[in-house]
Amino acid sequence: MTRDSMRSATLNVAITIGLGGLAILILPNYWIYLATGAMIGAVGLLSLGVVEGRAGMISLCQLSFAGVGAWTVGYLNVAEAPGGLPIWILIGGLAAVPFGIAIGLPALRLRGINLAIVTLGFAGAFDAVLAAITYPGQAEFLQVLRPDVFDGDRGYFLFVVIVFAVISGVLELVGGSRLGSCWLAIRHSERAVAAHGVGIPYAKLRAFALSAFVSGVSGGLLAGYLGMLVSDNFTMFGSMVLYAVATMVGAQYPEGAVVGGLLGALFPELLRRLDVPQDLGNLLFAIGAVQALAARETISESLRRAFCRVVRSKTRQLRRLDASALPPRIDYGNAPALAVRGLTVRYGSVIALNSVDIDVPAGAVVGLIGPNGAGKSTLIDAVSGYVLRYEGQIETKNRPLEGVLPHRRASLGIRRTWQTNRIAPDLTVSAYLRLAAGNITNDEIDAVLAWIGLPDPDTKVSGIDAGARRLLDVAGAVAARPAVVLLDEPAAGQSFDEAARLAERISEIPDLFGSAVLLVEHDMDLVRAACSAVTVLDFGEVIASGPTREVLDLPIVKTAYLGVVETEAA
Amino acid sequence: MNSLLTNAVAGLTAGGAYALLGVCATFTFRLVAVVNFAGAAIGASGAFAFALLVEVGTPIWGGAIAGLLFGALVGVLVGEIMTRWFAEASTSIKAAVSTALLVGVTAVGLRVTGGQRPHEFPELLSGSAFRLLGVEVTNTAIAMLGLAMLFTLLIGLFLNRSHVGLQLRALSERPAAAELIGIPVHQLSLWVWAIGGAATTLALMLIAPQRAPNFLGLSLLVVPALASALIGFFRSFWATLLGGVVIGEMESLISGFSGLGAYRTAVPFLVIIAVLLWSQRGGRWDDAR
Amino acid sequence: MLGTMRWIGIAIGVGTTLLTTATFAAGPTCPDGPIRIGSITSATGPVDFSDAPKAAKALFDATNAVGGIDGCRIAYELADDKADPQVAAQAARDLIENKKVVTMAGGASLLECAVNSQLYKRSNLSSIPGLGVNPVCFVSSNIAPVNVGPYTLETALGLFATNQLRVKNVCVLLTIIGGSLEAHKAALARWEAISGQKAKLVDLTVPTTGDYTPFVIRARDAGCEAVISNAVEPTVVAIVKTADAQKISGINWMFLSPGYSVEVGKALAATQQAVYAGTEWEPYTDQNSDANKEWISAMNSAGLPLTAFSQGGYLSARVIIDVIKGIDGPVTRDSVSKALSSMNPVSYSLAGSQYVFGSASTHAPMQATKVMKLEKGNWTVATKDWFVVPSK
Repeated sequence: MTRDSMRSATLNVAITIGLGGLAILILPNYWIYLATGAMIGAVGLLSLGVVEGRAGMISLCQLSFAGVGAWTVGYLNVAEAPGGLPIWILIGGLAAVPFGIAIGLPALRLRGINLAIVTLGFAGAFDAVLAAITYPGQAEFLQVLRPDVFDGDRGYFLFVVIVFAVISGVLELVGGSRLGSCWLAIRHSERAVAAHGVGIPYAKLRAFALSAFVSGVSGGLLAGYLGMLVSDNFTMFGSMVLYAVATMVGAQYPEGAVVGGLLGALFPELLRRLDVPQDLGNLLFAIGAVQALAARETISESLRRAFCRVVRSKTRQLRRLDASALPPRIDYGNAPALAVRGLTVRYGSVIALNSVDIDVPAGAVVGLIGPNGAGKSTLIDAVSGYVLRYEGQIETKNRPLEGVLPHRRASLGIRRTWQTNRIAPDLTVSAYLRLAAGNITNDEIDAVLAWIGLPDPDTKVSGIDAGARRLLDVAGAVAARPAVVLLDEPAAGQSFDEAARLAERISEIPDLFGSAVLLVEHDMDLVRAACSAVTVLDFGEVIASGPTREVLDLPIVKTAYLGVVETEAA
Repeated sequence: MNSLLTNAVAGLTAGGAYALLGVCATFTFRLVAVVNFAGAAIGASGAFAFALLVEVGTPIWGGAIAGLLFGALVGVLVGEIMTRWFAEASTSIKAAVSTALLVGVTAVGLRVTGGQRPHEFPELLSGSAFRLLGVEVTNTAIAMLGLAMLFTLLIGLFLNRSHVGLQLRALSERPAAAELIGIPVHQLSLWVWAIGGAATTLALMLIAPQRAPNFLGLSLLVVPALASALIGFFRSFWATLLGGVVIGEMESLISGFSGLGAYRTAVPFLVIIAVLLWSQRGGRWDDAR
Repeated sequence: MLGTMRWIGIAIGVGTTLLTTATFAAGPTCPDGPIRIGSITSATGPVDFSDAPKAAKALFDATNAVGGIDGCRIAYELADDKADPQVAAQAARDLIENKKVVTMAGGASLLECAVNSQLYKRSNLSSIPGLGVNPVCFVSSNIAPVNVGPYTLETALGLFATNQLRVKNVCVLLTIIGGSLEAHKAALARWEAISGQKAKLVDLTVPTTGDYTPFVIRARDAGCEAVISNAVEPTVVAIVKTADAQKISGINWMFLSPGYSVEVGKALAATQQAVYAGTEWEPYTDQNSDANKEWISAMNSAGLPLTAFSQGGYLSARVIIDVIKGIDGPVTRDSVSKALSSMNPVSYSLAGSQYVFGSASTHAPMQATKVMKLEKGNWTVATKDWFVVPSK
């Protein structure tokens, strides 16, 4: 949890309740009634904001979760369960959670459009089942009872506004937490998230569970709003429309959810006033949605951008480096940080690595060089667990890693960076560091950024250039202070001066953070400056290994490798 | 046991229809990288154009051709929207767009065709081919299956053997790059949409007389169609074909058990999930990322 | 010019009804402007029932053209719910709070009763739908439709099959939507209680769309002689065509009122199957029927098509006009509800039962149907007199 998310969550709650209170004071009854419907729709949209907006998974069955919540409230009402509506709604939300997890399970394997179709299938099936179940209490005309305090249109509106405010506040907090960053990152690259030591299933299931809960709550609110429901409130078609609206408005933002809810509630009203047929609404919705989606940014993002233009936040100055503020060094003792023995990787009939041995002693910076296609990245993939089918042994601190999944390897002390950028652009710099490093304070984040030479922690990753993103990638891996950091061409795209500074930083890593480093790099100046030992790969085999200067002077290395550099430089 | 076989035979019609629609969905996805939720709605537009034309006195075959052309035209319109504005958009944006289009097309369709007002759908193929286990296997069922197989076969040949087919494959993988090497991306995409629209129309024209032909109902056939395509992972046409037949069969077989009752529609869904989880058990990472 | 002629035509009809029911009482007054009557109808979206409120509007307009009810004009508000519960709920609130309607009449919605019945009760508003579909329409204290409704019709068709067609094996294939399971089961139980028979096959899982071959085969294999189905128009066509495709014979296919339509008749002109359908009112295709006379002339004058829905809307408007005429003093929500709950049963030629609202906790006044048989694409009356479901 960060200062920022705490602040914006509080701000959210305050603004929502303030605006809600204002609405109660000035709007006539009927409009309050409409606004209640809008806010309930907004709660439903928030639920999509979690799975779709944040974690980037397509869910076309949100109304089914809402249906579970609504029906649960109905049963509790008929049973006259203790606690009244607020408790029933809570239970309704919880009842939807198992469904959310059940739908989340396929999401562990299925992605994108495959997941969309599974959720669509679920919505269709649920639709048919729900249509056959009469809403509890319909036959006896038992309306869902509201608590006395919140009875009447204004009272219930206030209740809904409070629920919305609380949920959006909590979601804001979750969004600012490591889990929230993790969702944003999953949307961008699952591999990269696993490299931070986060279990993807854990994160995805939480997204679905939380989303189902919020959706279930919205169903419960609807039950209290209308008193009596029909299955048509929760159709598959409705879920699809909800999805389109969420994508259009940006439902992960509270203002987006409210805009979407208002559209849903006020559109029929507008058509009624204009005396146009209601089905025209569907057509206009289609045109409007396509138009809005073509704008390439959600309505909330446009709003925020316009708002930010007015209130320009000042960027923070680069801080002076204060080594004592860095996260404390971890002492890993003398056990080798990484020991690779006889590593062989085959892709079909191609041998990518052939019986490779590499040692990275504790506290050392070891270089791994070789021409393109020599197998350097494959080695990093194998060590970090992304190539699980290999022969040979990989150990860190004398612990064998065979059969261990990437996120577990990461938490056992192996962190890596990527040759191609995999940092989710929606994260802020500080959120990324928190995601990568886990338990880290704001001051430590500032110190790490100052150390690597990156500015403002509140900048979005999308706002910094490719070279800076590489530095951030390095900073994240280092700030986690693992036993060994695998750096995959960190200097690519850096200027000469920047590369020189980076070399200095890399050589400091063992002293400042306690981690050993395996550095894959083409920039020979950087390798010379940072590494105490070097291993040279060519066509998947180790052709030389030893102290840096000695190895780089070997003729075999010069012909195999250094020639390439010269042509590249030319 | 016998009634089970009877139901199995009875499920062929639905199975053939799902298969053909599923193959169309896979076709669209593989070539223009859009999972088209509005696919069946496009076909429904063409099929209803056919019915309405025949209602006002157009000869059947003339109406059928006009219907196919209309289906192709609606397909091109949807395709134009997709290629013009969303060619480089993400999967979820495209999914949202095709959902919105589904809503729009059905709204217009229901308005024009008058909701549940039944329309006389002339049977292009009437009568039954033969009787099997006490069930008439209709010509339509045979034609559906045959068409689905023919379409699958033709697409396979086209994609793997022809120059245009290869260009199309390049197009679906990297539209921008394809454009750079001089492939007429826009034009080719629209042809894909047109063919997809016409093929879906044909499928729906054939099965409409045996179903409750209202616009919404036909449009929502996209669900089993996409489910079949999913069984083929939107790649394999033959697996899609098989998937469609299996889903149709399953629906039919389950309707033989009254005990399963309202949960009937849930069963194919559960089977799909099971198949997917099993076949994806090795996959851990999304390919591209 | 033509318009004026129409109004005069209707006015004469309305005038006579006004005279015949004139009472000694002082009659209704309307101190706050016209009498506002509302209706909620599924007019767009999956179904179009808009003929019902249009017919009601025609009658209200005609009444206004001759000076209204005792000088009180009627302002009729039509709302569309596009079969969307949320829109239906909004429309009801709008009508009650903003438009200040005193009653609902002439509407025909798929789901409005279920969504709004509680609101009506809270607002002490009574509703007389022109066509009630949802089961709640027939079991609410504030709603009494002028149609028989699918549930009573099911019972009626079952009795028609056992009593008139004299078949033994009656089967029931139903599509359950919108929480109607209990109502359908109750209708079935009612038929079993009255006839002493048991259904040969009951399948409550027929999908709204899909391939009906398995169901048709099932009915055949179970030895059904009559199959009762609540299919809607396109599904009726699909089921009968499937039966034809499977060369089935010996089954009487019995559909509810949606099956009884000119389009269904046309679509099934070539069928080999025996197709029946129950009506909600006097068969609307019978243009020569005396019972239809007033309604037909009203519709012709207003230039509206002759459909079953328009019968419902017309009848509902007739009922509410007659009830308002009996009110002494201001016409308000309360006075209309009071007049309805204390009204005496009234006979209308369009319906086989007397209409009454009354003070019971549930209302289903209409219990009579006429069964139609499809002959070469035309519907003919199979029961010359009203077929009434006995009260037990």
